[in-house]
Amino acid sequence: MAVLLLAAFLLTACGSSATNGDNPVKSAGVLRVGTEGVYSPFSYHDPATGQLVGYDVDVARAVADKLGVKVEFVETPWDSIFAALEANRFDVVANEVTINAERKQKYDLSEPYSVGEGVIVTRANDNSIKTLDDLKGKVAAENATSNWADVARKAGARVETVEGFTQAIKLLNQGRVDVVVNDSIAVYAYLAETGDTSVKIAGSVGEKSEQGFAARKNSGLLPDLNKALDELRADGTLADISQKYLKANASGAPAAGNQAQPKSTWDLILESLGPLAKAAITKTIPLTVISFVIGLVIALAVALARLSSNVVLTNVARFYISIIRGTPLLVQLFIVFYALPELGVKIDPFPAAVIAFSLNVGGYAAEIIRSAIQSIPKGQWEAAETIGLNYVGALRRIILPQATRVAVPPLSNTLISLVKDTSLASTILVTELLRQAQIIAAPTFEFFALYGTAAVYYWVICLVLSFGQNGVERRLERYVAR
Amino acid sequence: MTENRVVAEGVHKAFGDNEVLKGVSFTVPQGSATTIIGPSGSGKTTLLRALNALDVPDAGAIRVGEVELDFSKPVPKDQLRRYRAQSGFVFQSHNLFPHKTVLQNITEGPIFVQKRSKDEAEAEATELLQQVGLAEKRDQYPYQLSGGQQQRVGIARALALKPKVVLFDEPTSALDPELVGEVLSVIRDLAVEGWTLVIVTHEIQFAKQVSDQVLFTDHGVILEQGPPAEVIGNPKEERTRQFLDRILNPL
Repeated sequence: MAVLLLAAFLLTACGSSATNGDNPVKSAGVLRVGTEGVYSPFSYHDPATGQLVGYDVDVARAVADKLGVKVEFVETPWDSIFAALEANRFDVVANEVTINAERKQKYDLSEPYSVGEGVIVTRANDNSIKTLDDLKGKVAAENATSNWADVARKAGARVETVEGFTQAIKLLNQGRVDVVVNDSIAVYAYLAETGDTSVKIAGSVGEKSEQGFAARKNSGLLPDLNKALDELRADGTLADISQKYLKANASGAPAAGNQAQPKSTWDLILESLGPLAKAAITKTIPLTVISFVIGLVIALAVALARLSSNVVLTNVARFYISIIRGTPLLVQLFIVFYALPELGVKIDPFPAAVIAFSLNVGGYAAEIIRSAIQSIPKGQWEAAETIGLNYVGALRRIILPQATRVAVPPLSNTLISLVKDTSLASTILVTELLRQAQIIAAPTFEFFALYGTAAVYYWVICLVLSFGQNGVERRLERYVAR
Repeated sequence: MTENRVVAEGVHKAFGDNEVLKGVSFTVPQGSATTIIGPSGSGKTTLLRALNALDVPDAGAIRVGEVELDFSKPVPKDQLRRYRAQSGFVFQSHNLFPHKTVLQNITEGPIFVQKRSKDEAEAEATELLQQVGLAEKRDQYPYQLSGGQQQRVGIARALALKPKVVLFDEPTSALDPELVGEVLSVIRDLAVEGWTLVIVTHEIQFAKQVSDQVLFTDHGVILEQGPPAEVIGNPKEERTRQFLDRILNPL
């Protein structure tokens, strides 16, 4: 143990002298790794155990081991993975980050730990595409920020952006796109896992691709990362991990017989019911309820400020409402989660989602509550005054109970929208219902079945809320002439 | 000599450029009924609302019950609330709280403002309901009552606060003609019982029968005041005569 510590200390010292800076990972004792979690076979959840596994994941684990630190994975959609890296959500990206000049300028890129070749995938019966030149005028499905999108675009293809490789292949299967350009490793792995014969590798883009870790510029991590990779390469660990996940690549063909019988779609849905319910109960519903309650409190305060005779208060309230209603919810989420850390305010995913959704509900519900309060006749305020109630008393005992009746139908709309809007939290690392469906669907390529199941869950939640709304309305209508 | 429950001196009130009250002074003796009559726009409702600070005067001084306010200076909120607590107010359109039962409408003030016990407040409210002839309606909602019944609940709500003066703002103007009588008879009973009342009304016959003094307002001033036999029976002012003539012989 003492020797290990000493070794770790010496390593740190070496790293420091080499980079002229501290290795923050060593001092923190944990390597935080950003990865997609839906990119089979590099980063995905094992359907049997639910564990995060894959080539990149295991390489990252091995590197952390070499560095003598713990490893912590942060699952992030590819398209926001670099934003999250910049926001210091994690230290490195391990997600088949292709090494290119552009990225080298912006990030610290390690030596490659996987080397592949770009290939063109088409439907099996499509012989019109053999080389990059044939992509002109075709439609390609690619991740928005991946280098394959650039390759396809430069070759003259129109690029449909997708969430991940498996989704791209799905679109190709369905005939919605003509071609997918991706790394040979991923394609072979897909063919091996699914036994899919409806698509084929039609050609090569004549371009080697090297993938490595990405860290923030001047992170001071590179020397240690590269050293660890060198050692892992030398002692055969990288080869072992590669064998485990990418054997299809080595052999060039699926290994018959060693493949588990693919599950039927029906079984997959049945098995997903539990995890999806768990995501709904632990994330989607609490997120909705907490955000809605906080949002209503904000909304009431803003509505009262808007109605007050104080010009400053009124204008602040107006400005708030206008900002919230005038900008996309997705942007609001991103600002809270990705932009605030740049100002030194770092908030965990769930609370960040609660903040963004609460503020959003606050803006919309403020106008509903304001108009509901204004719909109560002035005589009610006056009658409350004449029996001696002050402003707060009149509001609480006379005005708000009546305004509630007016506000419940539109507020129910807001609540039901919120249930579905919480799916946007998947973009800021909250594993809610939709994200869980993505995770389950990724290694199986059964997007429609899983998204459909998630949709049913959303629908059931909204159905229950609608019944609740009817009950509340009936209760509040008891003093109204019918 | 009887004590005065209301003493108003030089009350002014303007809404923007429109000067509605131009220096009004009068007194209301304890246990008396005062009716305010006059053409619409003459300031009679504003005058009544000033007694409860629903409209706060710009100048002048008013004492209601035990609280006197000088409106030429800004009045602190707590003072205004104490002043307001001296009187009860009955609205033309009753303004009952639709989400509360008849009983809750009446006990709202006693329980939540005067902090009296629920049992006591409900017992008194039940008594008041008996007095206005609505004991059996205590658990109904306002929408289940007729206009006249709603107005009688409004009166009971005002009385429940045990005010020094009860103010009525055209209490029968929004009612169907056949319902006017039941409300007026309740008000007459109150006068007989010795409540101090100030009533803005267009019911000239009623004013004649019930009131101890009549104020005739016109263009923001009290043009004529005195016992009903004089102001209504034998008005001195030409404008009072014209007004009464228009009301009593509309054709």
